[in-house]
Amino acid sequence: MEWIILFKKVLIANRGEIAVRIIKACQEMGIKTVAVYSEADENAPHVQLADETVNLGDPTPIESYLNIPKIIKVAQDVGADAVHPGYGFLAENPDFAKSCNDKKMKFIGPSPKVISLMGDKIAAKKIMEKAGVPVIPGYHGVKQDNSSLVEEGKKIGFPLLVKAAAGGGGKGMRIVHSEDVLKDSIESAKRESKSAFGNDTVFLEKYIDKPRHIEFQILADEHGNIIHLFERECSIQRRHQKIIEETPSPVMTPELREKMGKAAIKAAEAVGYSNAGTVEFMVDGNLNFYFMEMNTRLQVEHPITEMTTGVDLAKWQLRIASGMKLTLKQKDLIQRGHAIECRIYAENPSNGFLPSIGTLTKVESPTGPNVRNDTGIYAGMKITPYYDPMLAKLIVSSENREECINKMIWALSRYVVLGVTTNVSFLKKVLSHDEFKKGNITTHFIDNHFKDWMSTKEGLPVEALIALAVYDSMHSKTQEIVRYKESDPHSPWKHVGRWRMGADS
Amino acid sequence: MFINYEHENHVYNVSVERRKDQYFVTYDNTEYEVEADEIKPGHLKIKLGDRVIKCVITKGDKDKFVFVEGDVFKVRNIELTGAKKNKKKDEGNLNSPISGKVVNIKVKGGDKVKKGDVLMIIEAMKMEYLIRAPYNGKVKKVNFKEKDQIEIGQNTVEITKNKED
Repeated sequence: MEWIILFKKVLIANRGEIAVRIIKACQEMGIKTVAVYSEADENAPHVQLADETVNLGDPTPIESYLNIPKIIKVAQDVGADAVHPGYGFLAENPDFAKSCNDKKMKFIGPSPKVISLMGDKIAAKKIMEKAGVPVIPGYHGVKQDNSSLVEEGKKIGFPLLVKAAAGGGGKGMRIVHSEDVLKDSIESAKRESKSAFGNDTVFLEKYIDKPRHIEFQILADEHGNIIHLFERECSIQRRHQKIIEETPSPVMTPELREKMGKAAIKAAEAVGYSNAGTVEFMVDGNLNFYFMEMNTRLQVEHPITEMTTGVDLAKWQLRIASGMKLTLKQKDLIQRGHAIECRIYAENPSNGFLPSIGTLTKVESPTGPNVRNDTGIYAGMKITPYYDPMLAKLIVSSENREECINKMIWALSRYVVLGVTTNVSFLKKVLSHDEFKKGNITTHFIDNHFKDWMSTKEGLPVEALIALAVYDSMHSKTQEIVRYKESDPHSPWKHVGRWRMGADS
Repeated sequence: MFINYEHENHVYNVSVERRKDQYFVTYDNTEYEVEADEIKPGHLKIKLGDRVIKCVITKGDKDKFVFVEGDVFKVRNIELTGAKKNKKKDEGNLNSPISGKVVNIKVKGGDKVKKGDVLMIIEAMKMEYLIRAPYNGKVKKVNFKEKDQIEIGQNTVEITKNKED
């Protein structure tokens, strides 16, 4: 193996479980770590774990974890030679990457140029199309008159989607099933977009029926070597955010995997990608796949790839950024068994998945063979509205999908997070759903099967009532009567509680 | 011991009796005989027949969380012998926890009472239940006379709480 000099000190510009994950990787490699934190995170695990810590002050993200000048200055002051951005916050901010590199601190990720290129979703699709990576057929052009749009729509075919360029949240979006309503749909999408966003530019895209979100993990070094580490199936989403990820995908075949893996590598090559990245594809009901976007960072769900390939992605990020060549060869990589990740969120699934805040009163997580818990929480921690409500990630792996689902249900059943409402019982319900077990999942799974789901439709189960009563009885200061006529099941003594013999004297 | 748990606007009336590690929990006319152990603070291991229920209970500022097999329920104890929370602050409201007969009334309107004073005795199944003052105050109204039949949840005595308390 080539002798390389790793970084001496890495600053982690993030918080929560991912900061913890990266700090641990650095520690294993003998690299010193610097944690930054806002006032809200003073006692956070990432702060306790790091060798050095710097307070960024005000908890609002813009003043702390998103404050580029502040973080750059801190990194220089502590003498960091590299900065790891984690995910979220500044991870895909090309200005931040550039600022780090300008100050001779290596940004652990791809070049700022690649980040900004992939940040422009339309430009990215154009590059991919040119490189021969399949993209969703569509029209993203400048001709916005109705007759040109109708012509372009006919070329794409039906069903198709009319999308507002400035859109979001479904506004200015129309699914069109036939040519005769195309013109009307374009006009109404434009009107809606104009009033919602002040801009009536629309795109046309082929509408994907039964869409799945399947992504490929890639690793690319700075010497032109690229490998993929297979797929992750991330179709289970709510509010367009993933909550359950697994690998392998239940629909994957060896042939499709090879085709998609090659496309992912081609996508990375097309932009001169380096470091860890993820190529996201949309896969339709007939297993056609289309490039969606590329994430230029370590993904939240990276652990399921680590569990099934044995490759430590965070450590490879550090090695690649320090200039080391990839020693992993595509032909040597294998997928072993099955892995699932569940994201534990402080949110209320019975109320539109709205984040919940509060203080965690109890936190206890299951341990066992092939159970991994990536967490940045502790009992007593305040869940504030400042940051993402993801509390932890529970990852399990097993020989096959069925065993893996059972293990995850077992682990979730023992995942104690009390004090705020979490999605733990909802996750269990999804995993126990027959269609999920069969692998019949699409990105509409939760909308289709769990619309208006209520966690407590059945009310308090009798187990909970027994537990409460026992607990209260144990901790009651009241002197209890001890019953005596045990032998008679119909004795009124069986049915009475805090009674006293005789009147008050 | 009678306990009323409120969960999602439903009230569950439960009674529990203890005899060493054995508990007799009655809910909805069914009695559950269980053995229970607090294996560490807040962690209960409950044996119900051949089932073992493991659960975790914790108290928040106002609410109590019960964790059973990955499901979490937010529950609140309602003290029926104490003042009802949704009533005006200065008004004592003591509901009868059982159906029975009023056998003795210790106070009358206008009486001053101290916290813990017995106000009324209700008899059911040859047992007596004592309604006590939840705080210092003045009796506003006694809603029953001796030998009256009283139903569960009915208001027994109304007390105006002392302002200085």
